[in-house]
Amino acid sequence: MAAKIARWRTPAGVLTALIAVLVLLMLLSASSGAMHIPLSVLPGLPFSAEGPDEALWRSVLMDVRLPRVLFAALAGAALALSGAAMQALFRNPLAEPGLIGISAGGALGAVGAIVLGGGAFIVLAPAAFVGSLVATIAAYHLGRRYPGMAGLLLAGVAINAICGALVGLFTYLADDNQLRSLTFWNMGSLAGASWPLLAGLAPWTLIVGALIARDWRAMNALLLGEREALHLGFPLKAVRRRLILLTALLVGPLVAATGAIGFVGLVVPHLVRLALGADHRWLLPNSVVAGAIALTLADWLARIAVIPAELPIGIVTSLVGGPFFLWLLAQRRH
Amino acid sequence: MKQRLALLLAAVMAFFTLSATAAPQRVVSLGGPLTEIVYALGAGNRLIGVDQSSTYPEAAKALPKVGYYRAFSLEGVVALKPDLVLASDQAGPPQALEQLRRLGLRVIVLPSAPTLDALEQRMHGVAAALGLRNDGRAMVTELRKQVDALAAKQVGPTRALLLINRSGNPEGAGIDTSADAMLKLAGYRNVLSAQKGYKPLSLEGIAALKPDLIVTSTASLAASGGLDALLARPGIAATPAAKNRRVIVMDDLLLLGYGPRLPQALRELKAAPALARQ
Amino acid sequence: MLLAENLFIERQGKVVLDDVSLSLSAGEVLGVLGANGAGKSTLLAMLAGELAPQRGEVSIDSTPLTRLDNAHLARQRAVLPQSPSLSFNLGVREVVAMGAYPFPELSTADVQQLIQRALALADVSHLASRRYPQLSGGEAQRVQFARVLVQTLAARAAHGGRFLLLDEPTASLDPKHQQALLACGRQLAREERIGVLVILHDVNLAAAWCDRLALLAQGKLVGCGDPASVLTPATLDAVYGVAAEVVPHPRHPERPLVLFN
Repeated sequence: MAAKIARWRTPAGVLTALIAVLVLLMLLSASSGAMHIPLSVLPGLPFSAEGPDEALWRSVLMDVRLPRVLFAALAGAALALSGAAMQALFRNPLAEPGLIGISAGGALGAVGAIVLGGGAFIVLAPAAFVGSLVATIAAYHLGRRYPGMAGLLLAGVAINAICGALVGLFTYLADDNQLRSLTFWNMGSLAGASWPLLAGLAPWTLIVGALIARDWRAMNALLLGEREALHLGFPLKAVRRRLILLTALLVGPLVAATGAIGFVGLVVPHLVRLALGADHRWLLPNSVVAGAIALTLADWLARIAVIPAELPIGIVTSLVGGPFFLWLLAQRRH
Repeated sequence: MKQRLALLLAAVMAFFTLSATAAPQRVVSLGGPLTEIVYALGAGNRLIGVDQSSTYPEAAKALPKVGYYRAFSLEGVVALKPDLVLASDQAGPPQALEQLRRLGLRVIVLPSAPTLDALEQRMHGVAAALGLRNDGRAMVTELRKQVDALAAKQVGPTRALLLINRSGNPEGAGIDTSADAMLKLAGYRNVLSAQKGYKPLSLEGIAALKPDLIVTSTASLAASGGLDALLARPGIAATPAAKNRRVIVMDDLLLLGYGPRLPQALRELKAAPALARQ
Repeated sequence: MLLAENLFIERQGKVVLDDVSLSLSAGEVLGVLGANGAGKSTLLAMLAGELAPQRGEVSIDSTPLTRLDNAHLARQRAVLPQSPSLSFNLGVREVVAMGAYPFPELSTADVQQLIQRALALADVSHLASRRYPQLSGGEAQRVQFARVLVQTLAARAAHGGRFLLLDEPTASLDPKHQQALLACGRQLAREERIGVLVILHDVNLAAAWCDRLALLAQGKLVGCGDPASVLTPATLDAVYGVAAEVVPHPRHPERPLVLFN
């Protein structure tokens, strides 16, 4: 028995198990929700729908749930991957994309769009993306002059503070309706999931994610130290610039489409590292799948907790993830 | 002749079937004021689901809730199998409204602006969507009549301050708010007409503005710790309104909802400026 | 040949290296001695190509380092910096395997073979399945040594010379492993024709294992040559500011033995 478990504790074994869990969870999530669809007809629905009930079930399943389940998995995977990349880059297990202004910049763009531009999705999403990209690039350029990552970290702190202040200013200027929109944007939502959105975001996320994952050797080398990475032939400045830009390109559109979903990017890579070690060759794929699991689970809970209403997903990730993380830290001490 | 009769008969039947299909029986309302209008039109029994802001009348609270209207649950609405969704133009997320339409649901979006015009549009819109066009017309006529009658009754040059409190700190209503529109309609002068929207109160500024009357909502008063605590706050305590305890407290939806109870709200606003004297 | 010519650098008004010229040839072990702050680590950083001199030039087989990119450089020289820090949860084998990163063309089997060999050379085969953060300081240092061994051994197919630069590799090692590490360096120099540069504090250890010694004092080279000719009371006084006596080693008369008073 113990030997069996030990065999499964290899990174490849864990990855296989995680993928299986993800698939099961996605099936579970797709098969439950506010609309009761009998399990007996569910498997056949994507292929044929006879009768008025079946037609409605089919459209709920195919046009509402499936895009949402896929979007949750995609967003979770991307958030976890970006978290892992940032933690490697900063050589700090508590780093996350928010550190270099991606979230704050996105929030500023979104809030600006809501207050100045009316807040239609078509304005809000690009504004949030541009906001996150501009904030990140600004943090990078301002922080570049200091050696190591300290400069970027400090510039990130400053950019975050400035964005936060500007968000506050916009909030002050906002009218009542805008204020409520802001509040809900900040809680995050996957309700915008649709096939057209997925068709745009999925290929983008896969390509940018693959480009990030390609740097797994550089991330490993960075664990040894910045000098060591240099000695192993990695052009540090170029790697750093590339990873920061790619992370912004990966997370920016997601922040734009979903609002602020916290905790996944920070906690998931951390958990995977605790369980499997820091070798990015396995840390990255395992984080991607675990991140997809985390957000799929959170979305499922958000959708079934208060039927027929739903909870904002950002609340679920923090509410479930926070105590879980604390529990895990407490376990580690023994 | 026979042919004509058959045609007429067909036309009559078509009319009836049309009106039968056009009168929705399973309605979801996304927005408190819209829910109120549905009930006021006597069609409350057709509602099968409402959003969380629908807190009036009492019966609405018993209906299934599909979330707050700004973040309603798409599948939650669909699962109720409505044949009509009434939505405030602030309902969202916007993509979710789009999705409802794509799923073949009839979605009627109505203006939410805090004006008499918008209220009339809401009434007409809800009535038309429910197949109660005539009741809607009657309702609007009655509304106009009552509002005009109330407008004729002057309240004098009273300087009023409208406070709401969501977070523990009272905020004052400036222009471009439903609160401001309400004060104006009641004939009061908003002391915060220089500011836009709800802003945290500058206690010193309030004392300087010297409002004669304070208007607030039930929930805001609770958040402020009750009437005495509110009036004892520095700044507010120095105002003529606090000294004379001229405070009007009204239910939130009645005060700020701009629903069919608007005449009642106006009446309460105009009638009881010295209510709090005990 | 790794060649440094007239290196000069100053930081905040203090001259760190002043007109230092040095060469490291294939097959030799060159020891660098000097007091704290003499500029040893700065010299090593320049030879490694991570720090550019303000004047002077470093070249590898006649090509200036400034014209070589990092990836290319990593295929010719490996560096073991001082007291490496690693707080992340990596396995020993994973750390050692990183030495092969500059050589993506190697097959997995080749890399595994290199790792086994390096683990054995650094005497850490028994630690292969341990986690790095759980190692003692000396064990960790030997694992890092195994990593740079993989890097330098993997360079077999590379054209030109191969160089191994070690910054105080014996700092936290017990006497047995100090000897073993330097013996390994010398063996690699002889058998693989690798040029090995090693910064040391133990003068007698350096005299025992190095073919040549370079002595640094306040950023200047005060002597460079075989141990017997370089280690004199005068140079040792210049380098360490301590009176010393130099006698022939009782077992190896050709080797000097330094006695600090």
